[in-house]
Amino acid sequence: MRHALRVLRAEALKQHRQIFGSKLVLFSMLVWPLLQLAEAYYMLHPLQGGDSGGPRLLAFLATGTLGFTFFFSLVQSSWHFSMERQSGTLELLFLSPANRLVVVIANGFGALVQNVWLFVSFSVAMFWWLGVVNVAHPGMYAVVFLALLVPAVAWGAFLNSLLIFSRDSAFVYTLLDDPMWFVSGVRLPTSALPELVRAAGSVLPLTGSLAIVRGALLDGQGVGDLAGELVTLTGLSATLLLAAVVALRVGEARAQRTGQLKLF
Amino acid sequence: MIETHDLRKRFAAKTAVDGLNLVVPQGRVTGLLGLNGAGKTTTIKILATLLRQTEGTVRIGGLDPVRQPHAVRKRINLIAGGERMVYARMTGRENLWYFGQLYDIPSRVLKPRIDELLDLVGLTDAAGTRVERYSRGMTQRLSIARGLVNDPDYLLLDEPTLGLDAPIARDLRKVVAELARGGKAVLLTSHYLAEVEQLCEHVYVIGDGRHLAEGTPAELITQTGCHRTVRVEVSGLTPEVEAAALAFDPAVRVDSAAGVVELSRPGDVAGALTMAIVAAGGTLTGLEIAEPSLEDAILALNDRSAVAMAQVAR
Repeated sequence: MRHALRVLRAEALKQHRQIFGSKLVLFSMLVWPLLQLAEAYYMLHPLQGGDSGGPRLLAFLATGTLGFTFFFSLVQSSWHFSMERQSGTLELLFLSPANRLVVVIANGFGALVQNVWLFVSFSVAMFWWLGVVNVAHPGMYAVVFLALLVPAVAWGAFLNSLLIFSRDSAFVYTLLDDPMWFVSGVRLPTSALPELVRAAGSVLPLTGSLAIVRGALLDGQGVGDLAGELVTLTGLSATLLLAAVVALRVGEARAQRTGQLKLF
Repeated sequence: MIETHDLRKRFAAKTAVDGLNLVVPQGRVTGLLGLNGAGKTTTIKILATLLRQTEGTVRIGGLDPVRQPHAVRKRINLIAGGERMVYARMTGRENLWYFGQLYDIPSRVLKPRIDELLDLVGLTDAAGTRVERYSRGMTQRLSIARGLVNDPDYLLLDEPTLGLDAPIARDLRKVVAELARGGKAVLLTSHYLAEVEQLCEHVYVIGDGRHLAEGTPAELITQTGCHRTVRVEVSGLTPEVEAAALAFDPAVRVDSAAGVVELSRPGDVAGALTMAIVAAGGTLTGLEIAEPSLEDAILALNDRSAVAMAQVAR
């Protein structure tokens, strides 16, 4: 545990140095999500046929964008992590006795904190300004926080482990950008999506996170109301972590056999 | 002690390491030499747990890297040449701190060790500067400090002075020699053979992944039949002088146009050869004695290996 905390601290510093203040993060994690939010709002608002639901629609879209920012930041950080092949530092991580799962979790967690704080700050300010927050009790804020954080970190660990397994990581960026936005119900309620799309979205943790965040923050639902979603999301997060463990083991064994860690 | 027995590593169609037996004891620097593609880096990466052998056994301090990788990784480290392998946006000190965390080193130990290592590689003044502002040599020095951050018992050095300025490389050689004297087992590969001659008490020479020879640098030179070369410059190299030189030793090489007589032989033949030339009427204008080098020995071993392989192929 002590070693894990050390690795977590080390990765937090590394991510801070690599990400904090970077223009890429400013644009991809704040400016771009804000533009997407504005675009979605002004596209969907006229279809509502009135002004009465404006704040509610904006809050719905903002929670979607907030959740997407959490998860997409980890797609981006995984892409950064795959760059460690080129710098030669990936081999050094595998040369060290640090637990591989802890390294990929710490890497994702460190990147997440550095990536999303801007948009989280914006969202908190916006929810306060809109006055649409309706929580059953203050403890639900913690549920919301954990429902975003835990699956996002598991998602990041899973992506990082895949990228160690394969050096061709760029496809993940494309694969998980617009499709994740669409199938997880970032802009539309999943109930409005076709059955097949809903099925595809159900395997992405962002879908479950958004259901819990919206239920807890906007609909005043408590833990009991969200128990089904919470159990599913916990199971999905555990599955992602388990898949990360397997991918790391298989990936490292393959790298030891083929020497591919030094290839880029 | 690092020991390998019948070590083999195959990548698809290529056999990179083919039945290697190595012993790298503590307290000395052991060299691993060979031309490009000989299997040196593959061997080092197997010892570092980054690659797994196809066959054979490895023991590092009695531990099996395949079964006990975690325990092995705590006790080894690898320093490779080139300027990669550190984080550019972190400072030199932060890089060492980062890797110290990966090795689970307590703060009370790590902080003074980082100071010592920065001092050792001459980066104390640049400790707070981001690595992206370092020169290539500074980055390489930081990489060396990184390789020592866990105070490894077993140090694997793969071309560690590649790209370093001569004074820094000299300082590093001093450090390596000191580390070995302090009880560490050091395995060194280097293309700078003078460095190997200076540092290594025992050298393994490999080619195409196979063991070609081993011994002290002096023993390797003797084993390969490389001898000192006497080069005599003669004014008026007449046929009589040439005949006298050849009579002295049929292995003498004579270049009449350049007025040069050369002979490679064990022992000191310079005096006797020059006397034979003078006695035949030659006038000496220059004399050079070239000692055989480790480079000559490596090339000779490799040539022999290539000839042997060609014979096997036929």
